[in-house]
Amino acid sequence: MQRLLIALLLLTSLSIEAQNNAFIAGEKLTFTASYNMSGLMTDLAQVTMETSEVKTSSATLLRLKGTATTYSKWDSFFKIRDLYESYVSPKTVTPYLYKREINEGGYYKYVKYNYNHKTRTVKSVLRKKSKNFESGFWDRNSTVTITAGTRDIMATLYQLRTLDIHKAPVGASDTFTVLFDNKETKFSFTMMGKETLNTALGKMQCYKLKLNVIGNDVLKGNSNFLWLSADQNKIPVFAKFKVAVGSGELRIKDVSGLKN
Amino acid sequence: MRLTFIILGLITSILAVILAILPLYILSFIPAILAILFGLLGFFKSKKAHKPTHTTQLIFLLTIIAFAIATYQTVYSTTEVGDTEQLELREESSLEDSMNELEDIEIIDSDIAD
Repeated sequence: MQRLLIALLLLTSLSIEAQNNAFIAGEKLTFTASYNMSGLMTDLAQVTMETSEVKTSSATLLRLKGTATTYSKWDSFFKIRDLYESYVSPKTVTPYLYKREINEGGYYKYVKYNYNHKTRTVKSVLRKKSKNFESGFWDRNSTVTITAGTRDIMATLYQLRTLDIHKAPVGASDTFTVLFDNKETKFSFTMMGKETLNTALGKMQCYKLKLNVIGNDVLKGNSNFLWLSADQNKIPVFAKFKVAVGSGELRIKDVSGLKN
Repeated sequence: MRLTFIILGLITSILAVILAILPLYILSFIPAILAILFGLLGFFKSKKAHKPTHTTQLIFLLTIIAFAIATYQTVYSTTEVGDTEQLELREESSLEDSMNELEDIEIIDSDIAD
């Protein structure tokens, strides 16, 4: 009986840890995205990440919305209006619907994933602009088989925040499978330790995580890092990345509606 | 040598003016400083050789214009987000469309609201 009680207690504590204690509906994070141009970091766009509640007849989901908007001075040169959406379970951050609509300097792409976790498949729609079709768009519908735990990029970013990072020792790493452009890509995050950063919100103690994309060369070199606030909210505070066409940064500008 | 400095001065001063108008105005300070250096060298070489200094004066004029525009941009330009009306409309219509789609989606047992 005693063993059973201990086992039950253990199970309960584990399930509590698996809960999302980092964010709730109504949270809004605003970032400034900068790009390195000839050695000078230039503010290019504003990135926002917002959460809101969505009720269906069978469940209450969380809408994770991300937008990227170039600053007005860049609009006439390279206008970006990107929209990322993921509809996830508020408890486990399991995604059910994902949409990505990008509008970058005249280039348009729309991606939609309908997840079916019972059959571990994703119904995917890929849409691009095309003059060869009457509608002006070219559509490709396909079904992609996914492994358990595969998420889209938005759901992965938020899932990262639900983990018990404070328990991770320096050097510990975790791998996430991300479905991007109908392909499963593995992202690994390695704990580098704690650092104090000067941000627009003041001095913040952060967890420094090293980001690696396995088997894909979208991120270059060993200088891709993400700093999450070392509190219960674990908000992304700062990110540094290096891609084929240069390097960039993402800095926190404003926050509202935090859970803790 | 005099001609080389004048040509380099002209190129860098024109580049400085072009960059000063673009959103990358911060970069225009580099060619502007170079233009002053080449302009001064060209000016002294011209004086020494008793040659006209009209072109070097043009280099200085262009550099002053570039400096003025770039400084104005540095002081007064704000980092404001452009027109987002269309994006907001897309967000709204996407939410409506998503609500309809989510009605047909099978939610796994562990995620059903308590």
